[in-house]
This record gives sequence, C-alpha cells and structure tokens, in this order.
Amino acid sequence: MSAPTATTTVRRFDPRAELGLIVTPVVLGAVFLAYWGWLGGQDLSSQAESALTTTNLVRQTGEQLSITALSTIGVLLIAIPLGIALTRPRGKRFAGPALAVANAGQAVPAYGLLVLMLAILGGVFGRANDNILQNTLGVWLGPGLVITVISLILFAILPVLRNTMVGLTQVDQDVIEAGLGMGMTRREVLLRIELPLAVPVMLAGVRTALVINVGMATLAFLIGGGGLGVTIRSGIQLSQNLVVLTGGVLTALLALGIDWIGGVAERLLRPKGI
Amino acid sequence: MDGVRSLIGFIADNTSGILERTIEHATIVLGVMLVATVFSVVLGIAVQNRGLAKQVSLGTAGVLLTIPSLALFAIFIPLVGIGNRPAQIALFLYAILPILRNTVAGLDAVDPAIVEAAQGMGMGQFQQLVRVRIPLAWPVIIAGVRVSTQLITGVAAIAVLVGGGGLGAYIQRGLTSLGNPFSIERVWTGTLFIILLALVLDAVLGAIGRRTTSPGIR
Amino acid sequence: MSETTSTPQVGAAGMVSDRDPTDAPVMIHLDGVEKVYTPGAAPAVEKLTLDVHKGEILVLVGPSGCGKSTTLRLINRMIEPTAGRIIFDDEDVTDIDANELRRRIGYVIQRIGLFPHQTIAENIGTVPRLLGWDAERTRKRSDELLDLVGLEPGIYRDRYPKELSGGQAQRVGVARALAADPPVMLMDEPFGAVDPITRDRLQNEFLRLQAEVQKTIVFVTHDIDEAVKMGDRIAILRERSVVAQLDTPARILSYPVDDFVDDFIGSGSTLKGLHFERVSGLAIPEYPVVRRDTPREEARRILDMSDFRWLLMLDERGRPARWLNETHLADTSRPLHEVGPVVRAVVERNATLHDALEAMITSSAGQAVIVHRDGTYVGVVQIELLTEVIGRMRREARKHYEDLEATQTTDTP
Repeated sequence: MSAPTATTTVRRFDPRAELGLIVTPVVLGAVFLAYWGWLGGQDLSSQAESALTTTNLVRQTGEQLSITALSTIGVLLIAIPLGIALTRPRGKRFAGPALAVANAGQAVPAYGLLVLMLAILGGVFGRANDNILQNTLGVWLGPGLVITVISLILFAILPVLRNTMVGLTQVDQDVIEAGLGMGMTRREVLLRIELPLAVPVMLAGVRTALVINVGMATLAFLIGGGGLGVTIRSGIQLSQNLVVLTGGVLTALLALGIDWIGGVAERLLRPKGI
Repeated sequence: MDGVRSLIGFIADNTSGILERTIEHATIVLGVMLVATVFSVVLGIAVQNRGLAKQVSLGTAGVLLTIPSLALFAIFIPLVGIGNRPAQIALFLYAILPILRNTVAGLDAVDPAIVEAAQGMGMGQFQQLVRVRIPLAWPVIIAGVRVSTQLITGVAAIAVLVGGGGLGAYIQRGLTSLGNPFSIERVWTGTLFIILLALVLDAVLGAIGRRTTSPGIR
Repeated sequence: MSETTSTPQVGAAGMVSDRDPTDAPVMIHLDGVEKVYTPGAAPAVEKLTLDVHKGEILVLVGPSGCGKSTTLRLINRMIEPTAGRIIFDDEDVTDIDANELRRRIGYVIQRIGLFPHQTIAENIGTVPRLLGWDAERTRKRSDELLDLVGLEPGIYRDRYPKELSGGQAQRVGVARALAADPPVMLMDEPFGAVDPITRDRLQNEFLRLQAEVQKTIVFVTHDIDEAVKMGDRIAILRERSVVAQLDTPARILSYPVDDFVDDFIGSGSTLKGLHFERVSGLAIPEYPVVRRDTPREEARRILDMSDFRWLLMLDERGRPARWLNETHLADTSRPLHEVGPVVRAVVERNATLHDALEAMITSSAGQAVIVHRDGTYVGVVQIELLTEVIGRMRREARKHYEDLEATQTTDTP
C-alpha cells in the first residue's frame, strides 16, 4: 500500500485516533526495550537463565502468534457466514436461540473448556500423556496446538457471531428497502449494502476475537500447546519471580500489539464514509 | 450416558468439597466485585464530565482488559507472592472496564433537559447526582456490574494456577490426573459449577437491578 | 380609549387586557446584566436593563440566536452574568446562593425534563422536598396542583412520566414549577414541542391559570403569534439580546419602531392588532331594524330613508333573525319573515374586533351583528368602522412614542 498523502490522511482518519495508532507501537516498543534493559541488569539465577533464553522466548512467542492467527482465521471463516445465514429470512428463526447460546457462553471458563477439549479430543489427535504439564515445558506438541486452536475457535466464535448479527440487523431497514426498490436482488442488497454497512461492527468483533485468542493462547501450555504461558508456569513452579514477570510482561505486550494490529485493520478496512 | 451418571455420582460423593470450593470461588468473586463496583462507579462519576480524564481512564481500563488474564495474574506475583492475592488484584483490574464504561455511558445518556430541570429547580451538584443522575443511569450501571461478574467468575478459574483457590482446583486436579479415574468428572464439575455460579450471580444481580430500578424507567 | 369601561379581564381568547402592566410594582429588575463568554469577544447578552412587573407576562421574542434564552437563564443564574445586578423583589440576588434563588423561581423548559424515575406526584414535590416541607403538605400540594392544571389527582398522582402524552407532560411541568408557589416563573419555549392544536389549548389553559395565580412570568418564544397571544408586554430582541422594542402587543403591532421589528412581526400585524380592541369599545352608529311583524310597506320606507343597503329583522324576542334588501322586499311570494338570508354570524359585545371581522366576512350582508349575552340585538358593525379603529390605534401608538421621545429628550441633560 502506498503511503497516503497528508490530505487523504486527514480526510480518512480522525486525527486523535490516528495519533493513538502511531503512539501505541512506539510506547509498546519503548516498554519492551526498557524492560529488556532492566532485566539485563538483574542478577539471574541459573534456573532463570535457562528459562529465559532468547530461543525459548522467541519460539514461545511464535507459538502464541500462530495459535492466535489460526484460531482467528478459523473464527472468521465460521462466524461470519453463520452470522449472515442467521440474519437471512430463512435463518432468522434460529437467531434468537443462537444469540441466547452466545450470551450464555460468556460464563464458560476458558480453563475448563481447554481441558475438556483436551480430554475429549485427546484421543483423536494424539495420545494424551500422563504427565502433560512437564512434557510441555519447552516441548512442541502438535496435537496440543490443534486442540488449542479448536478450543479457541469455540470460545471466540460467540462474540464475532454476535457482532456480525448485530451489525447486520442494525442496518437501516429504509436503506435496504431503497436498495430493493431500485431493483437490486436480495443478494446484491447483502453484498453492496448490508455487508459494507455492517463492516465496522464486524471488524470490532474480529478485534475482540483477536484479543480473546491471544489471551487464551496464554493458557495453551496447559494442554501442551506451548506459548508464553510456558514461561509464566515454569516461573511459578520454580519460584522465580523474574521469570514469571518476564512471561507476564511479554504476554501483555504481545496482546497489546495484537490489539493494535486489530485497531489498524479496523481503520484500514472500514468503508469510507462510515 | 455412563459419563453423565458417573459425573452425578462424583458430585453426590463430593458435595461438601464442591460446596466449599464454590463458596471459596463466590467469595473471591463477590469481594472483588464489591471493591471494583464502588471504585469504578466513583471513578466513572468523577471522570464523566472531564473529557481527557474520561479518555485516559477508559483507555487504561481497556488496556487492562486486553492483557491476557494469566499474564496479569503473573505480573502481580513478584509484588504480592502467590495465592489468592495476585488473582484478586488482577480480577479487580479486569472488572473495572465494563462497570466504568457503563457508568459513564449511563450518565452520558441522561437527558440534558432533565439535568437542566433539576438544576433549574435549585438542586445542587450532589443532589442532582444522587436524586436524578445516578437513579437514571442505574440500570446501565447494573448491566455493567453483571457483565463484569460473569467475566471474572470465569476468569477466576485460573486463580488456582497462581496458587489461589476456587472451583478451578477441580479443573486442575482433573487435568493433572487425566487418564485416572474421575479425572474428567473433576473437570466437568469445576466447569459446570463455575457456569452455574455465574448464572446464579447474574440472576441475583438481575433481581437486585429490577428491585432498585424505578418502574418509571423500566 | 373606550367609553364603555368593562371590568378588566382576560377575554375569551385571552387576548384583551385593559390594565397597564407597568402600573404594578417591579418584581425583577435587571440592571446592566451582561454575559461575555470569551473575554474580548462580542457579548452573548449586551448590557441589558429590563423591568418585569408583578403579575405580568413579559415575553422575550426574537430570531434564533438573539440570546433570548440566555437572557432568561441569566435571571435564575443558570448562566452566571459577567456584569450587572439582578434585583429580585427589591433584594439583590446577584451573589446569593444560586440554588437557593432557583427554589424561589419556577422554571419550565421546552423539553420539560420530568424525572422519568419518579411518579408525577414526586416530580411535582421536587422543590417542596428541597425546601424541607413534610410529606403530608407536599402530597396535598401536588394534588392541588394536579387539579389546577386539569389532571385528576386520583388518576395521575402515581403514574410515571412515560405514561403521559406530550400535553399532559407539559401540564405536569407547569405544575412542578408552581409547586412551592414561587412568585416568579421563567418559561423557555414551554409549548414549543407540542402539536399546534395542543399548543393552542395549553396556551389558553395557561392564560386561565395565570388569571388565577397571578405570577410574574418571563416567557421566551421565537413565535411572534405566541408572543402576541401570551404577552402582557413583549420585548422584541435583536442579536446580543438588545431590546428593539418593548411594549404591549397592541402597540407593537400598531407601531413597529423600526424595520427590524416590522420584519419580525411580519405581514398581517394589522389583523393581529384587531385582537386587542373590543367591540364594546366602539361607537356603534344607528342601524335600520324591523320587527317580525313590521308591515312590508313600513320596512321599505325605513330602508329608503336610511343610508344602508340592508335591513335587519329581529325576531319576537329581539334577536337578529334575517337580512333584508330591496330584492327581498319586492318578493311578495312569501311572508317577509321567510325571505332574506338568516343571520348566522353574531358577536357578543366583549368579543374582539378580530372576531367581528370574521363575522363580517362570513355574513351575507358583509357586516357583523353585535348582540348582548342573551342574544338580543345591540347594533351592527361595518368594515369602515374597523378601518377607523385601525387608524386610531396607529395614531395613538405613534403619539405614545412621540410623547416618550419628548420626555426622554427633556430628561436628558
């Protein structure tokens, strides 16, 4: 994408939101460098040294990112078509129950869901080891990742589904009438009017999904999915506060960075004039 | 079917333990919610009319909610050690945004004509707040409290990962003993009772909300 | 002005009042009150000096953005003036506690602002509660006020605002403003948000109410017709709330002091002015009448001797019955009392000239028959008479302003 000129920038973006989008990565980067510098000056125990190797942290970050990306893509592929289907005349009668389930789903604890999925799907994707927690310390387990992604999709589908439905149903009925009145087919109305108008709300749902997924990915270590949760967990087990803190800070920065990307996507993909 | 029967059997055999963990879980949630509600409502009232302060506090609360729960728990361990304490602090920070946002939104939504009428009749700032603005914003504030309660009831499940208590203990025991007898039952028990607790708390808050909302704005 | 002096009263349409509002003592005195939002910039309200007299409705009217609402809000200090004094019943209230001041001033705004979470009775009891009245007294008062504004207390007391229509809500708004019996009411476009029919009814009700409660009222509107209808006096404001003309509606309509006022009151001001003169104030000339039993020849003789083209026939009880002209008198096919158009439009003596004009236009004879309250004949009014009255009103108003100018010239050293 070419760099927008000053005038188009002003026209497209609210200057304050624009400022936030520029400032956020700078602040996150600065916090990261400051923390890294501070950590370098600390006297680390040998246990902490071995937990906090760059290789470990980079790999865990990679795992967390891939879990987040995969599950978000999965969520979008399922939730958006489903949301559209549930707002079409034929799907409408399922909309109420679906929203009720989506709302009730808020109370499901992520921890419980992950472990249940592991128990249920463990046999399908690989033999669950007797001692998974120890095995996950630094070991990449394929089945863990798959199960984690499936759990995360289940968990994050609800908010995106809800947003898609809300976004579509709140499109002004008059606009739809106008579209039909001009001779558009139902399909054209959906593609040219309803979806573009619903995009902002749907994008908000996507951002929510990203945030939920990156957070849930922190718990992936519990079922062998890796991620930065591994560092937090080993820090707690080894009573190494610096390791816990490092895991926490890196996870927080990663999540805020992902949220920032979501924010940027929200601005760039939003149709002009909305 | 067998699974359900063995789950019911497990629950029946462990009633007192489950009850204890449930009460423990509820105590964590309610304690956090009490503090978070008072804090967020007062903060919301304080910042509602101040543009910058409002942006900053909503922004900060939003950032806190963006941070993964386990990471937030972890960050407080070096400060307060392991146990319920880091969990409570993190849950408190988590609970702020929905209540704060709704308090601000609820107060924002009060018709300016109503506030003008109140002022025009000689109500002072405090009277306007207590007699008019808060009662009118109340349903929205309560809705925020309900959202926060649901949220942290679920998140409190991982308190056990940082050495805290609550129903998450059943999930953890189940996970560490996966493959052994009753492991999956433990996980179901923990999960279901957390959902149940969330639904009960939500229903109670809903009832309180209805009771304390004027019929004129229902 | 008129040789028949009827008792001062608000007329049927609430438009005629014989008293001079400025005879009453001053209730609110604004002394050089000014509002400047940004120092150095043009003031929103430029040094305004204005008296509001006890028991009058003073209407502030002007185009949007002229600062009329701001001026109103300066009085109860919803907006704090940046200069000048506000004297309230001989007490300087510029610096007293604003909330204390507001509890002594009823305040009604266009959007009413009823508290949706409180019942109607609670809404009305707001200021009494602030003033520390006990529950019993507050309850009694709110019932009394509901009665006063025409809402059955038994039905409405415990309802919530959402159950009211726009007109009912506005009545409750007025009742709430009257709750602690404040001597002064400020009303900011109080009837602006209701439909025209309801507005008209609310205006009439309010004028009846005012005749009873006799409050000192400052009333803001952008609608000159409403101003003319509601105001004992009208202040026409131009931008920065500068008073362009301040006078009774009749005089403003008869004699707009400048082009701004003339433009603002718009066309039809002469017609509007007819609202302010009553039929009873006219010198009604002799008019030829006949009785039901008057012989045809006698009737023809009376018509021939008069300067008029129509005869008026009265029925046996002395009430106007039919109009008769040459043609009708020549028509011998039927008895005289069965020919000629029936008199339909009659006006009572205390009706306004506007009513009389309306009767004239609808009458087949082009003239209005004036009757006593019991329907018996008084006289007939013709268009020429109205033309004369309009001319006289203009002359009087002009003279008033010339006299005023003369005294001002002599007053100024």
